[in-house]
Amino acid sequence: MLAKYYRSFKKDLDQRGIIFSFSGYMSEGILYSLGDALRQKMALEDTNISTVKKVFSVFVEQAQNIIRYSAEKVSGDIGRAVELSSGMVTIGTENNRFFIVCANVVLASDEPKLRDRLERLQKMGKDEIKAYYKEQLREAPEEQSRGATIGLIEIARRASEPIEFDFDPIDKDSFFFCMKVSI
Amino acid sequence: MNNLKIAATERSPEVDFDFERGVLVLRGESYPEDASAIFGPIFSALETFLAEGEKREVKMDFDLTYFNSSSAKALMNMFQMLDHAAAAGTKITVSWFFAPDDDTMKEFGEDFSEDLKHVIFNLVAVEDAA
Repeated sequence: MLAKYYRSFKKDLDQRGIIFSFSGYMSEGILYSLGDALRQKMALEDTNISTVKKVFSVFVEQAQNIIRYSAEKVSGDIGRAVELSSGMVTIGTENNRFFIVCANVVLASDEPKLRDRLERLQKMGKDEIKAYYKEQLREAPEEQSRGATIGLIEIARRASEPIEFDFDPIDKDSFFFCMKVSI
Repeated sequence: MNNLKIAATERSPEVDFDFERGVLVLRGESYPEDASAIFGPIFSALETFLAEGEKREVKMDFDLTYFNSSSAKALMNMFQMLDHAAAAGTKITVSWFFAPDDDTMKEFGEDFSEDLKHVIFNLVAVEDAA
């Protein structure tokens, strides 16, 4: 039963075109290792360098967003200060394109701002996104936002289609936030 | 002043600032957890060096293959520092290296160069910069 159960779980992932999927506590070390595996996998398949760079860049920005902004964190001291952020990153292919999905819990109080930023980016064309990126590069970082805006613009810039996103309410204080990018 | 040499790590670039010769190199990839921790020491060394005010030639090479958005912000700050120093009379030549098939890095070079008024900027395609 054990093998049967996990085989069907794996098969479900395979059928969705998923190359790999990570769910749980994300750290910079995991980001590095998953990113490295991702680049190797794409290189083995002779993916062109431009696509590899775009997919990798979106992956890094999404994973760092989870690390920084996930509302589901554990922290403590195990000889050194440790903070772990929970979230999900899934990478796969469908219709000859790569897709990268990230998900994490966000505070209800952060939802309107994030929604505004993403809706603004969805409406922009390629040139507008590029100009907006440059404008944000020149600006001092926003309070409390260790570079969130520029990270989202970088993601939008590398995407082949407008970013898809959604918020699923968990309770009155939090949402499950999900974003999908195709390249 | 003392040269600044920092070895590359998995997620941060190699820094090779030879202040005596006026040859500064940033090489590799940059997507650290905390960009300010990586770029802080680089900024302060560069700032001190440029403020020394000797009107000599400075060569700065950016040989980067990937950087994340918070590193891009730090690079923008560096370009602003370099351009200010060039405006004040230091002759600064920046070379931005990229692999010929790497459109992203080429475009970043073009983007950064648009804001430079006083620095001499070269966009250099190199086969082995992979």
